[in-house]
Amino acid sequence: MCLGIPMQIVSIDGFNARCEAKGVSREVSLFLLQGEDINIGDHVMVHVGYAIQTMTEQEARSTWELLDEMLAAEGNDA
Amino acid sequence: MLEAKDWLAKIHALNIDRPLRIMNVCGGHERSISMAGLRTALPEQVRLIAGPGCPVCVCPEEDVYQAIQLAAHANVILVAFGDMLRVPVNVAKGELRSLEQAKAAGADVRPIASPREAVQIARQHPDRQVVFFAAGFETTMAPVAAMLLEGVPDNLFLLLSGRLTWPAVSMLLDSGEAGFHALVAPGHVATVMGPEEWAFVVERHHMPAAVAGFTPVSLLAAMYSVLRQLIEDKRFLDNCYPELVKPGGNPAAKRLLAQAFEVSDANWRGIGIIPASGYALAPAYAAHDARLRFPDFNDAERKRAGQMPPGCDCARVVLGKIAPDECKLYGAVCTPKYPVGPCMVSDEGACRIWWSTGVRAKEHA
Repeated sequence: MCLGIPMQIVSIDGFNARCEAKGVSREVSLFLLQGEDINIGDHVMVHVGYAIQTMTEQEARSTWELLDEMLAAEGNDA
Repeated sequence: MLEAKDWLAKIHALNIDRPLRIMNVCGGHERSISMAGLRTALPEQVRLIAGPGCPVCVCPEEDVYQAIQLAAHANVILVAFGDMLRVPVNVAKGELRSLEQAKAAGADVRPIASPREAVQIARQHPDRQVVFFAAGFETTMAPVAAMLLEGVPDNLFLLLSGRLTWPAVSMLLDSGEAGFHALVAPGHVATVMGPEEWAFVVERHHMPAAVAGFTPVSLLAAMYSVLRQLIEDKRFLDNCYPELVKPGGNPAAKRLLAQAFEVSDANWRGIGIIPASGYALAPAYAAHDARLRFPDFNDAERKRAGQMPPGCDCARVVLGKIAPDECKLYGAVCTPKYPVGPCMVSDEGACRIWWSTGVRAKEHA
């Protein structure tokens, strides 16, 4: 969904980045951020496997608070 | 930094002397609003309306039908975002109603979470034809464009149902019966496309608009902004998600979108054609167009082809004309377990969101 998931970059290989959030590691494409200065340790907003923008650690944390609430609420709708 | 309770206090301190309706056009916004219980926390005069914010809900019925037929009869691997698999189409009893049913009947249907998985599956099966049924708004279509520009194998074809968000809002405002007084604009669409896309709301329609992120703080800041604009009669486009929404948006994403797609008139399920509201593959990618590759898998003569299911009020829910629980089917025959219309299927559908946050069926007279 359009919410997106904040992740932190742990390694970069061309347009591919290994990103982490909450101990989960994923391969994320940086193809939509070409031309941007992206570094290991940066936080990015990830949507369907693609980083769509960089973000601060603070912003990543507040988004995760929201996602945690949503995940906790899931399963109540069956 | 202000917290949610501070923004609520500021909103309650405003002198709101008339009913004011604020529309959002994003399933993520609606989910956050519903989960945080913002509707009951706001002053009674303020009403929050869920508008067209669910790409699965407006995906044309005939596109879903075509995907089902391709999966069942063309011996392809059909991949789609998971939400799409349970969307029902209008067919006679006994025929395949959804991609999920096609899968259960033996078709090779695979849910994916990223366009990158579509490429991987096509590479793993060079001897098969893989069709990626891609519905989504700008936020999803930019990654699909990136996938194409990065290079896709010859055996991958797109059944594209991409839509732009702002034309639906423009259509509502032009109708003269919009039914809302202010707009909260979608944060991640604006992250990709830039906030300027929403300036027409203010400039052409003299209506306040504010881009919002997805936390209650950002949403409440946007609501405060548009309410204050209404009360003080000063209209402008506010950006309450500046952390991600930059002037001009994401330039690389916009360039890739322009290279991969052309903007065309497009059908919205139950709503009809909205001018310049859809993405179609650019001629350079015609070889990957599933509609050109498999032209014979649709049947426009079907009964109720293209329509919502009988009794289903999804189209009016999508347009914010009625609330989810004002549909007679809501919670009665239409539930997440047995959805009748797409708004009860998708995580971004208003009905599904309201149900998951505990709203149950109204008593209908």
